[in-house]
Amino acid sequence: MADNTGTRRAQLRTWVDGTTMLFLALSLVGGTAVWMLRGTGEFVASLSTAIGMIVAIAPIVVGAVLIGAYVQALVPRSAMERWLGRSSGMRGLLIATVAGALTPGGPFAAFPIVLGLYRAGAAFPVCVTYLTAWSLIGVNRALVWELPLLGYDFTLVRILISLPLPILAGLLTRLISPWLAVERP
Amino acid sequence: MTIAYVTIAGLLLTLVLLRQRHPVPGHLDVALQGWRQLQPLITRIPLALIAGSFLAALIPEAVVAAVLGDASGLQGILLATAVGAIMPGGPMITFPLALVLLSAGVGLAQMVTLITAWSVLALHRVLVFEIPTLGWRPTVLRLLACLMLPPLAGLLTMALALRA
Repeated sequence: MADNTGTRRAQLRTWVDGTTMLFLALSLVGGTAVWMLRGTGEFVASLSTAIGMIVAIAPIVVGAVLIGAYVQALVPRSAMERWLGRSSGMRGLLIATVAGALTPGGPFAAFPIVLGLYRAGAAFPVCVTYLTAWSLIGVNRALVWELPLLGYDFTLVRILISLPLPILAGLLTRLISPWLAVERP
Repeated sequence: MTIAYVTIAGLLLTLVLLRQRHPVPGHLDVALQGWRQLQPLITRIPLALIAGSFLAALIPEAVVAAVLGDASGLQGILLATAVGAIMPGGPMITFPLALVLLSAGVGLAQMVTLITAWSVLALHRVLVFEIPTLGWRPTVLRLLACLMLPPLAGLLTMALALRA
């Protein structure tokens, strides 16, 4: 019985965490401010815009989360580390770009991978390229957040422009590293 | 929006067919994994959008358009780099906020710059994850190498917009 309440409490924490509370507070304060400063009409208009958007993006979010789960299942972390550990030079930077773009999840997922790679002897420019690709052209983040909220045109333009940037970051790292020696942790 | 639906459906279908060639893990396991990742979003995304919509009604559009609009040029791009670098939080905070800023008149190049700076410079992430895991020297080296990427992305967007 006690075990059951524990699970239920953990369940509740996934649904109502700090971020959720922050947005709840922002919605309440924002909504009150709009209602008082701009009137009931504006309040109703803002709320219905938001509800329309929620309905429109719901299928995209569900699809994107499933895509993320399939990518994780098809490209396990061990395979990714194997590709990157052996690579160097321009080919290494290209592989790091693809691997970074495919890595789903937040910094808690990406940084342990980088640390593991670095300790295993991967070149530091390859690590920088990987991190840049993960943060800039991560497919999962673009599908879940950017595509539904900022739209197709914006996402496409930004990603196209960002495609060469991870490799550029790797090359710049190689250029700067003689002046800033990095010891392996 | 239709293109977004088609893209998502196409990608999902491709991945489902790809998985068909390796029978492990089963589709049900993948769907369960997806469900686990979806749960925290069910409350976050609607609340973020409602908060964003109210903020959009309150924000002084003239001010935003003047300092970060299309006409703000290189100065706007540099300001967007700074704003993006210090913007805290994950995508669940940044993208709804970006939507608010776009509707308040932030220019395309300035927006691309802001997202790029938030992605690669991300000072909050540097403090919380990067320095503790990689150490400060590698972190400084990475930041130096990435410092010019956000303005570069903004300028490239500007060049692209001029040609289109």
